Amino acid sequence: MRTLDLSLVALVAVGAVGAIGAIGLSGCATSPFQRAGNADDVAAAVARSRPPAAPARSLVFLVLSGTGGPRLAAYDLAASKILWTQPTDVTTRVEAGNNVIVHGIKGTGPGGTVIGRDLETGNVLWQRPLQSKERLFGYVVDGDAAFLVVQSSAAPGRPTGALFSLDARTGVERWHHELPSGRVAGPAARGGVVAVPLDSQYVLLFDGQSGLELGQVLSTEEAANFVRALPEGLFYGSRGLFLLGRSTAHGTRRSPGYLSARLPDFVRPVYWYDLYRPEQAEYSAIDRNRILWRVTVDGDRPQFRDGLAFVHDYRFFFAFDAGSGALRWAYGAPNSDAVASADTGHAILFVTADGEIGGLDPITGARIYEAHLPGEIVRGASFDAEGFAPAGAAAASKPPDVLTALTAIIADPDQRFPVLKLFAIEELGRQPGREVTAKLIDILQKEGLAPLAYQKAGEMLVARRDAGSLDLITAALRAHADYAEKRAAPPVEILARAVGALGPLGRALAPDLAAELRLPETSPAAAAEIARALVAIGAQESLPALRDFLSLYRADSSYERDPTALVAAAEALLKLGGPTDRALLLYLAEEPHTATGLRTHLTRALGETAPRGVAPAPPTAAAKN
Amino acid sequence: MKRRRLCVLWIALVLTSSGGVLRAAVAPSGSAPEGAPTTKSKAKAKAKATPPTATMPAARLESLRLALAGADDGAAIDAAATLGASGVAGARDPLIEILAAGATSARAQAALDALGQLSEAHLLGKEQTTFDLLDLYAGHRAPEVRRRAIKVLGSIADARAVPTLMERLGDAAPDVRAAAAEALAARRDTKAAKRMFALLKVGDAGVAGPLATIATPDLVPQIAELAGTIDDGIVATALGEYAKRTDVPDRLRVDVLRTIGRLSGAAATTALVEYVASVPAKDDRPSKREAQKLLDQRGTDQ
Repeated sequence: MRTLDLSLVALVAVGAVGAIGAIGLSGCATSPFQRAGNADDVAAAVARSRPPAAPARSLVFLVLSGTGGPRLAAYDLAASKILWTQPTDVTTRVEAGNNVIVHGIKGTGPGGTVIGRDLETGNVLWQRPLQSKERLFGYVVDGDAAFLVVQSSAAPGRPTGALFSLDARTGVERWHHELPSGRVAGPAARGGVVAVPLDSQYVLLFDGQSGLELGQVLSTEEAANFVRALPEGLFYGSRGLFLLGRSTAHGTRRSPGYLSARLPDFVRPVYWYDLYRPEQAEYSAIDRNRILWRVTVDGDRPQFRDGLAFVHDYRFFFAFDAGSGALRWAYGAPNSDAVASADTGHAILFVTADGEIGGLDPITGARIYEAHLPGEIVRGASFDAEGFAPAGAAAASKPPDVLTALTAIIADPDQRFPVLKLFAIEELGRQPGREVTAKLIDILQKEGLAPLAYQKAGEMLVARRDAGSLDLITAALRAHADYAEKRAAPPVEILARAVGALGPLGRALAPDLAAELRLPETSPAAAAEIARALVAIGAQESLPALRDFLSLYRADSSYERDPTALVAAAEALLKLGGPTDRALLLYLAEEPHTATGLRTHLTRALGETAPRGVAPAPPTAAAKN
Repeated sequence: MKRRRLCVLWIALVLTSSGGVLRAAVAPSGSAPEGAPTTKSKAKAKAKATPPTATMPAARLESLRLALAGADDGAAIDAAATLGASGVAGARDPLIEILAAGATSARAQAALDALGQLSEAHLLGKEQTTFDLLDLYAGHRAPEVRRRAIKVLGSIADARAVPTLMERLGDAAPDVRAAAAEALAARRDTKAAKRMFALLKVGDAGVAGPLATIATPDLVPQIAELAGTIDDGIVATALGEYAKRTDVPDRLRVDVLRTIGRLSGAAATTALVEYVASVPAKDDRPSKREAQKLLDQRGTDQ
């Protein structure tokens, strides 16, 4: 391994750019991060980064398994064909350069190997096995160079970190730079500048040609877990993203270059891989659950392109207004998880585990690309298709219907997405129209719905106050439980709340609600909601049903422990009824077989609502017995 | 003293209530609610409709009425039993009253059992009040209460009972479904066959016998085809009961018995044995011979 003359590095570094990372390497006791946050250094370094030329290719590298064994394939999206396939068991992600790709096999620890391949043929160009004390944190290809960040435990004491530059065609080391900390992360490179996160809050910038340190970024409010190179700039961040530049050399959320999207709770705020975690350099679940984003840059201010942030959640893709968090579109891959995805700037591309390659229009969510690899199992994929979008496809395809997509998510039997389902239900409930009310009622009647999802669907139905859908609620209420017809009881409790929320507008449903009070499958909780709803809609015509309910159950031992339903029915009688009902309630209050809780409540309630000058006597000793 | 007080309360209640089953419930003599028939008028109506029955001293009836509403559950249940077994038309009213006012589950069940006894003795009558009350209890949350209400309702020879019986065929509780099925079968209500067959298809043993009672010949092959999809014993029971019907042509019986013969299990054997036993000894119809032959074969096979 060739190493730089450290004293020369130090001299050049101090003399040329004033950086002191190299001083640290020469053994000085001062902090190696003394120039951290220096805006001039960082601005100068970023200015050296040349935007990459737009590539003329649209490739996706597929990590395949299955009957054909472990393989790596290059697929041409524009030509819809596989260019080459090579037998290999890829573990760490494929990174593409000008004419070389780099990937890893056998993991990131000792025994793992970094491999360079010819992009045109897939043939192996070189291999760099990891040494017994080495751990790979990541690599990137920029132009004709490959950069690796490796942590080493060879020396006693704390592990050390190093950035290696290799000739991408030959694998020969050009230089390496001992990093000032062993707590390292994978690199990113853009147009001759290499960025390496260190110690969670620093990002060191290096000249790709010489290895000289150019600047140090200090992030004080958010960890700098990732660095990412895009045509629009270099970025770092974790819960949000910072466009690397003068304003973010000392990164805070107030920096003009800081950006984060407003997204629903179900979204994991993963803007890029946590490069401090070597396992995230491998194809894994993190590829299936993250945020996809691109930006436009105005000066030092980034904005999400078209104001959108995209979320890949296993089988589903969503576009959100990055400012408001409003859902723009949703798409569900029909059969299996999308194992990889990318925003090319003009298309959301993805590959599913069962070999489907798809593309979505970022603005509408319309399907604009589709190809299949029959019989293949895809473990992972990396795209090298910046700017790719099938010409004319967006106009030809139909955007997905949000209601259909949300309903499909809710109805999906896959149990892995409970939080996503809650989001889908909430989002569905926000949509206007009778159709939505019908779907919510339908969801509430589905067997096996998770309790939280049921609760959420109920809340959304109640909150809609959809007086235009009374017929739908009526139909649902009338579909009583029937064992012979294999029909479960309707969600009476929720439906009653929905009717109650309508107030007098729901009055027409009083007979149907009252009828539920006489059915054996109506739970006490539902009966309580019915009684409350009858009060809310002013259903005096339901007084007989309330009286019957009270009579039927007032002495039932099952209501001794929880008399809520009886109390609600009594309250309804008190509010809707007249003197005769007060007499009935007085009887119930005094009759010793009446549930204790109900008697207690009635004694108080009758006293509180007694006509002036008439106060009911407390229960007699006999009645108490 | 306490009982007296409750009775007074009850009278006040009935007088002042103005809706629900409660309103129509029979009140003690002289205190009928407005709009509801008085005990006297009802008694007159009953006298026209039913033959003279035994009587019970008014004081005894009143003491049983008080016991029904009293604090002692055991005494209340005993009182209900006494009223049910009394054979007295007037025994109905205290039972209806206690149900209308609401009672513990044990008392309600005892009252319903007693009403059932009165119904069997043709002392229950067909007043709307009774139907309404039984209908209400047929929707009670406790299956044992529902089953009893259905049984009483089913025993009343009146078409008004049918919708509730049909509805309870879809009850979640097997015992309630069975009670409804038996009641509908007893009144030969062939309209119930479709729902009963739907239940048989899901292996509801409680409807096997009742369905056989009302099944039309075209339903028999469909029942037979259920063999292998549900417990063979249920199919055997249904077919065995069908074969015992007197209105079935003997040729069809032979086919049915052969189908039973092909079924496995003790229930099939029992069905054949019961069929043979159901035919008079002197009757040597072909179906009997076939059943005996099938039994002999089963014995040989074993």
